[in-house]
Formats: sequence, C-alpha cells, structure tokens
Amino acid sequence: MSLFSWVNVLPAGRRTVLLLASAVLVLAGLVGASLWMVGETYNRTGELDRAQRVLDSASQVLGEIRDAETGQRGYLLTQDPAYLDPYRSAAAALNEQLDALDASAPSADKGVVQKARQLINAKMLELQRTIDLTKNGKVSEAIDRVRTGRGKILMDDLRSTLLPLTDRARGNVRANLEATRANVTWIAIATGLGALVIVLLTGISVILSVRQIRGLEAAQKEIRSLNEGLEQRVLDRTSALTQANDEIQRFAYIVSHDLRSPLVNVMGFTSEIEAAVAPIEEHFAAPEDDKKLEGARTALAEVPDSLKFIRQATGRMDRLINAILKLAREGRRELVPEHVKLDTLLEGVIGAVQHQVTEAGAEIKLAPTYLDVVSDRIALEQVFGNLVDNAVKYLADGRPGRISLSGRRRFGKVEITVEDNGRGIAPQDLERVFELFRRAGVQDKPGEGIGLAHTRALVRRLGGNITLTSDLGVGTRFIVELPNVLEGSGVG
Amino acid sequence: MSDQESGMPVEIVMIEDDEGHAQLIERNIRRAGVSNKLTPFTNGTSALSYLFGPDGQGTVHAKRSLLILLDLNLPDMSGVDILTKVKANVHIKRSPVVVLTTTDDQTEIQRCYDLGANVYITKPVNYENFANAIRQLGLFLSVIQVPKNE
Repeated sequence: MSLFSWVNVLPAGRRTVLLLASAVLVLAGLVGASLWMVGETYNRTGELDRAQRVLDSASQVLGEIRDAETGQRGYLLTQDPAYLDPYRSAAAALNEQLDALDASAPSADKGVVQKARQLINAKMLELQRTIDLTKNGKVSEAIDRVRTGRGKILMDDLRSTLLPLTDRARGNVRANLEATRANVTWIAIATGLGALVIVLLTGISVILSVRQIRGLEAAQKEIRSLNEGLEQRVLDRTSALTQANDEIQRFAYIVSHDLRSPLVNVMGFTSEIEAAVAPIEEHFAAPEDDKKLEGARTALAEVPDSLKFIRQATGRMDRLINAILKLAREGRRELVPEHVKLDTLLEGVIGAVQHQVTEAGAEIKLAPTYLDVVSDRIALEQVFGNLVDNAVKYLADGRPGRISLSGRRRFGKVEITVEDNGRGIAPQDLERVFELFRRAGVQDKPGEGIGLAHTRALVRRLGGNITLTSDLGVGTRFIVELPNVLEGSGVG
Repeated sequence: MSDQESGMPVEIVMIEDDEGHAQLIERNIRRAGVSNKLTPFTNGTSALSYLFGPDGQGTVHAKRSLLILLDLNLPDMSGVDILTKVKANVHIKRSPVVVLTTTDDQTEIQRCYDLGANVYITKPVNYENFANAIRQLGLFLSVIQVPKNE
C-alpha cells in the first residue's frame, strides 16, 4: 500500500482529520447515490402508474363497449327498455374512459388512441342504429344488421388496434418493476456500504483515540512514578542529612563532655592545692604549734595525689584532642582509588593478626570472594584491620574463637562480612560502639573507644555503609557495603 | 547518716569512672563529716555485679540501706541503664540515687527524674561550687533518713 504510505508520516492529529474527512466524503457520495436512486425510483413508479392506467383504461373501454353490446343484445332480444340502462350508462362513461386513455397513453401511441376512438364511435353508431330500429319496431331489420357482422368486425379491429398499446403498456410495467427492483437493490447496497464505511472509520477513530489516551495515561503514570521516585530520593537524602546532623550533635556533646570532665579535675585539684597552702603558711607562721604542724602535714600529704590527678587530666585532654585531630585529618586525606583484589587485601589483614589469633587459641578464615573493587587501598586496610582487631580483642572466654571473613557482590555494590563468635554486643549498645570515645561491655581490654568511630567515618568516605548485628554472648557480625567503584575516581 | 533503725549504717556506693572526680567527691564528703563506708566503682559492669550480687537478683542488699552516687557517663554503659535497673529491682529500688554528672541537658535531667532518680546534681567546672555542692550533699546526707531495703 505504498500509495498510502505517506499517511503514516503525518502526525496523529492530522491523520485522524484526514480519515474523518474521507469518511464524510464517502458517506456524502453514498447518500447522494441513494438519493438519486430514490429519485429514479419515483420516476419509475410514475411510469409504472401511467402504464398501469393505460391498461386499466383500455380494459375499461372494452368493458364499457361490452356492456353496451350486452344491453343492445338484450334489448334486441326482449325489447325490454330495462336493457337500455346499461347501454346508456356505458355510452356515457365511454368518453370519459377514452379521455383517460388518451391522457395516459404515451405520445407515441396517440395515433393508436385516435384510431381507437374512430372505431369506437363507429361501433357505438352501429349499436345505436340497431337500437333505434328496434325502438321503432323494426326488430328483424335490427337483427339482420347484427348478422352482417359489422359490429363484430369493428370490435375485432378495436381489439387489434388496442393490442399493441396494451402490450407496450404491459412491457413498460414489467420493465419499470424490474428497474425499481434493481434500484431498491442498489439503494440497499449503498446503505450497506455506507454502514460498513461508518463502522470501519468509527473503528479506526476509536483505535486512534484509545491509542492516544493510552499514550497520555502512560505519560501520566511515568510522571507519577518519577514524582514518587523523587519524593523517595528527597526522603532518603533528608534522612541521611538528619542522621549526619544527629551524629554531629552527638559528637559535639561527647567532645564537650569528655573535655569538660578532665577540666573538673584540673580546676578541682588546683583549688585543693591552693587550699593546702594556707595550713602550711600557718605552720611557718607558728612553727611551735603542734596542731598547725599536724594541719600542714595533712595538707601536704594530699598534694602529690592532687598533682597526679592534674597531670592525668591534662594528659587525657591532650589525647582526646589528638584523637579528634587525627579523625579530622583522616577526613581530609585525599583518597587514591585503584584496582584492589579483595582477597589479597584481606589475606594481608589476616596475616597481620595471625600471631595474636594463634596465641588466643583461635582461628581466622577467609572464604575467597574473587571480587575486585576500585577504592582507596590504605582506607580499606584500616577499616578491615580495625574490624579484625576488634574481633580478636573481644573473643569470648571459654570457647575457641572463630573469626570468618566473606564477601559477595550485590546490585552494583560489594558486601564484606566479618563475623566472630566472641562476646557479642548488647542491643542497647549497638549504636554506642560506633560513638567516639565510647565503649561497651566488660572493660577488660585496652582501648580509647576510637576504632569503630574512625572506621565508620572512613567507610562513609569510601561511599559505603557499615552495619552491625550481634547477640550478647554469642557473636557479632559486621557488614561493610562498598560501591564497586569509588566515586570521583578517574579509573574504570 | 542514720537509717530508720539505728545500728545499721548506710553504705554509700559511688559509681564514678574518673578517679580524680571520685577523689574530689570523697574528700568533700568526708569534710562534711560523713564517715559512712564508701564503696567506689569505676565502671558500670562492676557496679552492677556488686549491686545485684552473685545471684543477680539483689538479694545480697535486702534488709540493708544503700545510697548510690551515680555518674551518667560511664565507659562501658550509660548511667541511665544502671538507674533503670536499680529502680526496677525489688530489693534495691528504695535506695536513693543521686546523679552527679557534667551534663546539664534538660532532657537528660527530666529523663533521670522520670526514671526515679532522687536528686540530680550538675558537676560545675567551678570548683568552689562543686566543693560546695558536695559538702551540701554531705550535710544533706547527714540528716536524711535512708529507708531500709526490702
């Protein structure tokens, strides 16, 4: 259908208009054709009517003449004037009928009608003659006239004259009936075609409309889902921001609190020392006074402790500040992304603690991951080093320690699990262990409470996340999620 | 300080991780004239095992009188945990708990009172005030009646 292939090039709206226009045209054509056929049928019916009237009039004419003849015959036979009634009425009606015949006869047959008229006149004259004779009592003369057969000859002539007329009329009737039947059939066909065209085009229009509506609905659905997606993303970002904000608040609280605490000691014990000066001065002022001597001795005895606490406190503040600075520095160090074979890196981490592990009577295993990742190597070493260190540090007494490392790829991320059967972490401490300078559980191992805080910060910098599940007394599992490729890298 | 029945001294349990603070508190309590036994703990775990005893139910302190000085910021747990546990145990819940801590966060204070703390004192950095507060506490301790535990 290359003839109509240009239709497909048109935009949908124009196409519909084109279709509808052609529909209207086709329908107009069909309606026009039908109307024309109807006109034709009217004509034909008119013709039919005329022809029918011709036949009718012709037969009426003949009928009237026969009636007249019958009257004449009767009168001739019986001389009863009653028989003249039909004759008279027939004679009267004859002209009317003839006029009717003349009117309905086609122009071609006007001559025939003329001739018939003449014959009819002659016949009626003949009949009249016989009736007149009979009226005057000359019955036998009348009968003789009839016997000549003139009347019969006239009748036969009349019949044969009218025959072609009636034949032609009959032919017309038949022809017109045929034509009408044909016309009606055509009208039916045209109407049927019209209906078909309407149905077809309605169907096409409906299809096009439905397609358009579907297109609109699809677009709406997409917008809606994009909207929802957007809202979800906003929620995610907001929750991430809220979380980060909460952490900063917590961090500020912890830092201010942890710095204030040693300060209480510094202030306290300096005041204590200051307070110790007075009794000592009093003693020097009155050296012989034993009570004052006792007072001075007591005061002095407490001074070394005070000094010790002051030193401890300032030392603690120094360590705290260093730890914070270290965290800040780590946060600023530029990450160097490179291809890292996880198995090689994790084996290195395990190697570093192998000695402690064996000493503790435990075992540590790596299930080969065969995974690669693009990330900062040093950061990864620190993260997993810390997790493995913790696992070794917080083993449970009374059962052989088992530490296992494994990994898998999921949805464009890498998931590494460090699992142990150590002492576990209580549910209320699951967030606490990540907090700076905070620890949980039995405090029988050295530590500042910095490790996991640092690890989490680092994992976040690597674009990942760290989660923790644990059962107190059973074991702990850390899951580190990392993107396959560290964002912002020029590699890969 | 005395308790409802004479002859049964009140034991002061001090849960404070900072040794310096513990020293300062003890010195000032003694200066206030309070001579009761003072049992210090530097972390929550050991304090809880002392308070709840070997059976973990606190029966060891039934029929005894305790006063608990509690710092909220302990290295291995939050002091709020200890407060909750103490006030939930039938044997030791009557023991007055005095919360001493550097936090002056209103929410924290409310929360402690809601959980049943009897007194909340903020450790000020200003030593004068701190010493005064402890001494007042000592005086306070010397006159209050500490109920006996069930």
